[in-house]
Amino acid sequence: MGLLAVVVEVVTAVSLLLVTTAAAVVGPERLRRLRWTLRGRVRGALGPIVALAVVLAINAVVRDVGLELSWLVGVNVTAAIYAVEGEFVAWFQSLGTPAVTTVLGYVYVYGYAFLVTFPLVAYLALEDQRYLRATATAYVVNYGVGLVCYVLFIAYGPRNYMPDMVQSLLYDALPRFQLLTSEINTNTNVFPSLHTSLSATVALLAVRTRDIYPRWLPVASVLAVLVALATMYLGIHWATDVVAGLVLATGAVAVASRVHSI
Amino acid sequence: MAATSGCVSRLRTVMGRERPDPVTVTIKTVPADDDPYALLIARQLSEWLRAAGINANVLPMASEELLRQVLVNHEYDLFVGRYPDSTLDADSLYSLLHSQFATEPGWQNPFGYANLSVDDLLARQRTTDGDERRQAVADLQSTVARENPFTVLAFPDVIRAARDDRYSRFGTTRSDEALGMLQLHRADDGADALRVTTTDERVTSTLNPLLASVGRVGTVTDLIYDPLVRRYRGERYPWLAESTTWVEDGVLEATLRPDLSFHDGEALTADDVVFSYRFLRDTASGERNQAAPTMRFRGRSTLAESVTAPDRRTVRLTFGEETDSVAERALTVPILPRHVWTERTGEPRVGGLDLGGGTTEALVTANVPPVGSGPLAFVSATRNDRLVLKRFADHFLETADTPALPDAVADGAAFEELVMKHVGSDSSAVDLVDSGDADLTLAGLGPGVLRRIGQADELDLLVDRSQSFYFLGFNTRRAPYANPRFRQLIAQLVDRRHLVQSVFSTFAAPAISPLARTDWVTDDLTWRGRDPITPFIGAAGEVDDAQARAAFREAGYQYDEQGRLLGV
Repeated sequence: MGLLAVVVEVVTAVSLLLVTTAAAVVGPERLRRLRWTLRGRVRGALGPIVALAVVLAINAVVRDVGLELSWLVGVNVTAAIYAVEGEFVAWFQSLGTPAVTTVLGYVYVYGYAFLVTFPLVAYLALEDQRYLRATATAYVVNYGVGLVCYVLFIAYGPRNYMPDMVQSLLYDALPRFQLLTSEINTNTNVFPSLHTSLSATVALLAVRTRDIYPRWLPVASVLAVLVALATMYLGIHWATDVVAGLVLATGAVAVASRVHSI
Repeated sequence: MAATSGCVSRLRTVMGRERPDPVTVTIKTVPADDDPYALLIARQLSEWLRAAGINANVLPMASEELLRQVLVNHEYDLFVGRYPDSTLDADSLYSLLHSQFATEPGWQNPFGYANLSVDDLLARQRTTDGDERRQAVADLQSTVARENPFTVLAFPDVIRAARDDRYSRFGTTRSDEALGMLQLHRADDGADALRVTTTDERVTSTLNPLLASVGRVGTVTDLIYDPLVRRYRGERYPWLAESTTWVEDGVLEATLRPDLSFHDGEALTADDVVFSYRFLRDTASGERNQAAPTMRFRGRSTLAESVTAPDRRTVRLTFGEETDSVAERALTVPILPRHVWTERTGEPRVGGLDLGGGTTEALVTANVPPVGSGPLAFVSATRNDRLVLKRFADHFLETADTPALPDAVADGAAFEELVMKHVGSDSSAVDLVDSGDADLTLAGLGPGVLRRIGQADELDLLVDRSQSFYFLGFNTRRAPYANPRFRQLIAQLVDRRHLVQSVFSTFAAPAISPLARTDWVTDDLTWRGRDPITPFIGAAGEVDDAQARAAFREAGYQYDEQGRLLGV
C-alpha cells in the first residue's frame, strides 16, 4: 500500500470521527449557526491560526535542517534517559496482548489525529473565540518548544535502544502506518513526546471548557491518556519523554490561558 | 614560619597526587533501525563490562555521525561496527593497523594503533612470498589477537528477502557484493526496473566513493565506478584494463580497453587513470603543505610509487619492494574522471566560509550526480526516498564480447533501471517486498523479521555467509585503552558464543582472526568453541564477577569501596 492510500485512509477515518463527535458534542444548533458565521469567526482567530500555520510550515522545512543542526549542536541524551528509567518501557510492553497492540496502534494514529483536530472544529463553533485562539496558541508553544528540544537533544526511542526487549509494535502490527510516521517523525526526535504534549494540551483545555462541552471532557481525557500510554507501549517513546510532554503541555496551556485570559 | 612551610609542602605533596577516577566507558554504535546487531552487541557488552565494575553505557548515533566522531575526529572510547570491505586479504590489515595511518581520518587505522613489530610484519608480508609471507601473516594475526587493538566478534550470515516473479537467481547474489545485481535474470519481460530496499539513508544523498562509511558493505558506488582490475569472489579480472603485464621488475603496464567513456560521454583515457592514483594519495593534489588523503583505499593507494601514461591507452605503474600479487591490489581502486574531480582540490567552503581543517572539497562533497564509467549510471536521487540508476549502454559489458570476465556478470545488467528505495526499518522493507512493491531487500535484515519472511508464501529467504565481520574497536590513543592488558581484559569479558546465540539467533559464526574467512587464518586462531588467547572469564554468557575483578587487580588496576574499577 502506498503512502497516498494510507493518507486517504487516515483522513477518511478521522473525518468520520470528527463529524460524528461534532454532532454529539457540539450539537446541531451550534453547527447550524456556524454555517452563517464561519467566515467572521475564522477572521477573528486569524492571528493564532496563521501563527500555527507558520510554525507547522517551519516545522516541515526545518525538520531536515534541524536534524543536521541537531548533530552539530545537540546533546545525545539516549544513554542518560536509559540510565534514569532503565527497562520500564520493556516491562510496560510485556503486559500487552495483540488486541491491546491493535487498539493502541489505532489510537496512536487515528485517535491522535482526531484528538488534536477536534478542538479546532468545536471551539470554532463557539461565539466566544478565546478558546479557539487559546488552542492555536497552545499548539504553537508545543511545536515551538518541541522543535527547539529536538535540536538541542538527540535521543533514540526504546525500540531503537533495546530492540531485544522492546519491539517496534506499531510497525510490526500495522506496518502500513510506518509510511506515514517515517514521513513525519525522524527517529531521533523523541524528547519530549509531542504526541503526549499535544494530547494533554487538548485534555487540559477540555477541562476549561467542561461547562460548555460536558461530553468532550471524558472523551478527550481518556484519549489523551491512551495516546500517552500508546507512545510508550509501541516502543516509540521513553517514559521520560512522556513526562516531559506533560510538563510541556501544562506550560503551553498556562501560557495560552494567560494570553487569551481564559 | 618553618612549620608553616613544612605544612604547605606536605599539602602540596598530598594535593598534587591526583586521585584515580572510576573508569567510564561509552560504547558508540548505530541505532537499531540502522543495524540491530551492532546495537545489541553494544548493549550486551555494556552488561558484561558492568559485571566487572566498569561503568559502561551505550550511545547510539546516526551512521554518518558515528563516522564523523569515530573515524574522522577519533572521539570515542569503544565502538561496535562492521568492517566495510568484503574483499579481505592479508594485506587489508596494512591500512587497518599500520602506524603510518594512525593520525589520518578514515578507515585507515581508526584505532590509532602503533606497534613497531606489527609495522614490521605488515611490511614483511608485502615484500615476501610463499612460506615466508605465510609466516609473517601468521605472526601478524597472533600478535594482533594478543595486542587486541580491536576484537573480532563474528562474521554474520546475512538475511535477505526476495520475490522471484519479476527477476530471478537472487540466490546466486551475495549481500556484500554490489556487482551481484548484474547476475540477476529478468523473469518478466515487462519488468524494466529492479526495485530494492535499503535502510541506509546515505545511499539517497551521498555517492562519493572516497568517503568511508560505517556498517555499509558492498557499496552502490562499486556499480558506478570501475577499477582497472575488478576483484570478484576472490579472483581478479581485467576490467577497464584489457590486460596487465609486468614489463620489468616492479613495473607493471596496463592497457585500457578501446573506446572507454564516462557516463557523461567524455572519453576515459590513461590521463584519468594517472590522475586518479595521484588524487587518491592526496586530494589536494600537492597544492598544500598537508596532504589530504582519502578515507578509503589507503592500503592500496600507497602501493604504487609512481603512475605515468606513455600513451592514451597505456598506464605504467612503478612499485617498490612489494611482491607482484600484493602490488596488483593497487589495480582495484576506482578510476575517477579527471575533468570532474580536478575542480575539487580546494578547501571546502560552507556558505562562503572557508572552514579549512586539512580537508578538501573532494572529501566532503556528496558527489551528486556521480559521473563514473561503471555498468550503472546515475539517473536521480531524492533524499530519504530513493536512488535511481540505469544501465550504461556504452559499458564494455554491454557492447563487447569479453571472454576474460566472470561469466555471471559478463552480459551486463538484465534491468533497465535499478531503483533503491529507502525504508525506515527492516519490517517495512519486508513489507514492500511482500506486497510486490520491491523485489529484494538489499541490506541484511535483523532476526526480528525472520518469521514474517517464513510465513509469507511470496517471499524467498536468502541467507549468505558475509565476508565482513563485526568487531569492537578500541581508541588506543586514550587511557586506559592504550594499555594492551586492559584491552585484553575487555576482550576476556566477551562471550562470542553467547553473542552468536542471543544477538544473531545463531545466524553468525564466531571468529578470532579478521582473516577467519580467508585461507590465511592459522590453525590456532580458528574458532573451536573458545578463544585460546583471551578466553571468556565466566560461562554461558555470565561474567564471573570475582574472577574478572581478580584479573583486573592482577593487571595493576584497583577498585574503590563501591566496587568500581578505577583508572590509572
